[in-house]
Amino acid sequence: MEQNKPKTKFSRRSFLKATGATSAVLGLSGLGFFGYEAGRDPASYTGWKTFEGGDQTFPRHRFTVNEPPYEKVGPTRRVDPRSEIVFSRLPTFVRYWRQDPRIESLPEHLQKYYQEHPEDLELDLENIKVLRPKLMADQEKYGRTFLLAEAWSEAMAAVVPPRITEPPEKADFPYVGWGRGQEKLRRPYKLKSPAKTSRLIKKIAHELGATLVGIARLNPDWVFQYPIPGRGLDPNQPLEIPSHWEYAIVVGTPMSWDPMYANPNYGTSEDAYSISRIIAYRLAAFIKYLGYAARPHTPGYSYDLMVPPIMIDAGLGEQARSSIVITPELGPNFRAAVVTTNIPLKPDKPIKFGVESFCKTCKICAEQCPSGAITKGDKVVVRGYRKWQLHAAKCYNFWNSNLGNMGCRLCIAVCPYTRKANWLHRAALNLSSNDPTGLSHDALTQLQKIFYPGPNPQDYYIPSLGGKNASYRRPPWWLRTEDFIEFE
Amino acid sequence: MSIFNSGFFWFIEGILTCLVILGIKTWAEDRGIKLTWWKWLLILLWFSLAGFTLAFVGTSLGENEPIAALRGGVLFGVLTIILGVACWRLLSLKKKKN
Ligand code: SF4
Ligand code: SF4
Repeated sequence: MEQNKPKTKFSRRSFLKATGATSAVLGLSGLGFFGYEAGRDPASYTGWKTFEGGDQTFPRHRFTVNEPPYEKVGPTRRVDPRSEIVFSRLPTFVRYWRQDPRIESLPEHLQKYYQEHPEDLELDLENIKVLRPKLMADQEKYGRTFLLAEAWSEAMAAVVPPRITEPPEKADFPYVGWGRGQEKLRRPYKLKSPAKTSRLIKKIAHELGATLVGIARLNPDWVFQYPIPGRGLDPNQPLEIPSHWEYAIVVGTPMSWDPMYANPNYGTSEDAYSISRIIAYRLAAFIKYLGYAARPHTPGYSYDLMVPPIMIDAGLGEQARSSIVITPELGPNFRAAVVTTNIPLKPDKPIKFGVESFCKTCKICAEQCPSGAITKGDKVVVRGYRKWQLHAAKCYNFWNSNLGNMGCRLCIAVCPYTRKANWLHRAALNLSSNDPTGLSHDALTQLQKIFYPGPNPQDYYIPSLGGKNASYRRPPWWLRTEDFIEFE
Repeated sequence: MSIFNSGFFWFIEGILTCLVILGIKTWAEDRGIKLTWWKWLLILLWFSLAGFTLAFVGTSLGENEPIAALRGGVLFGVLTIILGVACWRLLSLKKKKN
């Protein structure tokens, strides 16, 4: 019978043999690739994984767009930090109001601002009259719970580079030589190409510790109208944008993940502030050594410009409903610093990876924000650009309504993009980034609400304001003061 | 790096998967069940779901999210059990017909 069977050209046995041989070749060459990857894996650079750029992993080239994903809708205007940024406005307001509590006694720019934003006057008054006294009283009663968190924040904030004391024409340029009047301007070296220099600068930024780095051509709209104090400029004179602020290099590092989930009271911004700040100063020194101008703009509040839109221009992320930038790798959990420079660079392209569509339906941050500072509504036009606008005065008032470390950061902690880089959350990121229909965005939002619920937003307040000193998640073991310190 | 994070872990997982496939094949032959391609597909999908459920619970516990572990465990676990029973019946029914 067997012999009568017609012989096929390629028998089953031959097929198995061919498959076996092919598998052997594939398997063995796979081991070669495995070895190559193991040899160069950033994770193998123990202690220097981040410094190898091993965390900037998102395939940005697949998501680039030619224009930044924000909409310019009319004549634009630069931000006036003296009134529009609460960190500048409130100290001035307090200083004048304490002397003479009348609107007419305030500087002209503040009078104008409060006439246009009467709600902010009420909020700023509430801040100094109601919230701060209650905060101080509750600090006495409950503050010790957050002692270790405060100590951790203090430690991270301990290293601060010196303030800039000279104007950009002097401070930004590289001088060599000793003694006043003896210095000479360093001659810039001729560079082979902007593309090569960009690659070099990014590698150096990673080597200095930057988790993320991107490059943009500086849009003058993002520069402050007036300088803030401590920048080597006169805060009362409008800021003329120096011609050597051509490019902006943005570096960013994450806040420590476990304390960050325990916001608004156990987390701190100081960890990422400090690391990004030091990277920016070091990067500026590197650029100056090559003979070019460089100026660091660093957190907490030592900038001549707004950082978030520059991050968007530099292709690091997209603007979110919470008004923060969301990056693919770190979500909104990061703090950035900028170096403005004239070293010739090739800017990155902006990216679009679904954040706008996600935020349209998600609104988790707006629901969880205790102060109601995040809008549940649509974008509005601000200084000529359509964007989701944060009500900063409300946000800042909540900073004075919770104990522990300064600030809040809850909108970062609760955001579905703020998830650690494990298989589960990377899969969700890949799904949402590659879904043009937006259907998965709804589903992922619902899952986020089911799986990662938070306390009632009112509970985040101090007890005197009707709250329970709640945090989104329990602090990590090393910030639980009660486990380490014996109070009498 | 723990063993569960390593390439070696996936090597072991691969061997275990081969053993599971052999086991299912033998089990089916003993019961006279013919495992067609779509039955293999069903088995694969069910194992993927069961694996996902366990990995989800483990990951959530690992990242200090006990509520996610509990809710995910119940949600995906119940789904896994229901689909597992349905799969089992489907395979057994075929056997009876045969
Ligand atoms: S930091 Fe806190 S108060 Fe401010 S917007 Fe975010 S959640 Fe709201
Ligand atoms: S919580 Fe939701 S709406 Fe808010 S920033 Fe994150 S994704 Fe956008």
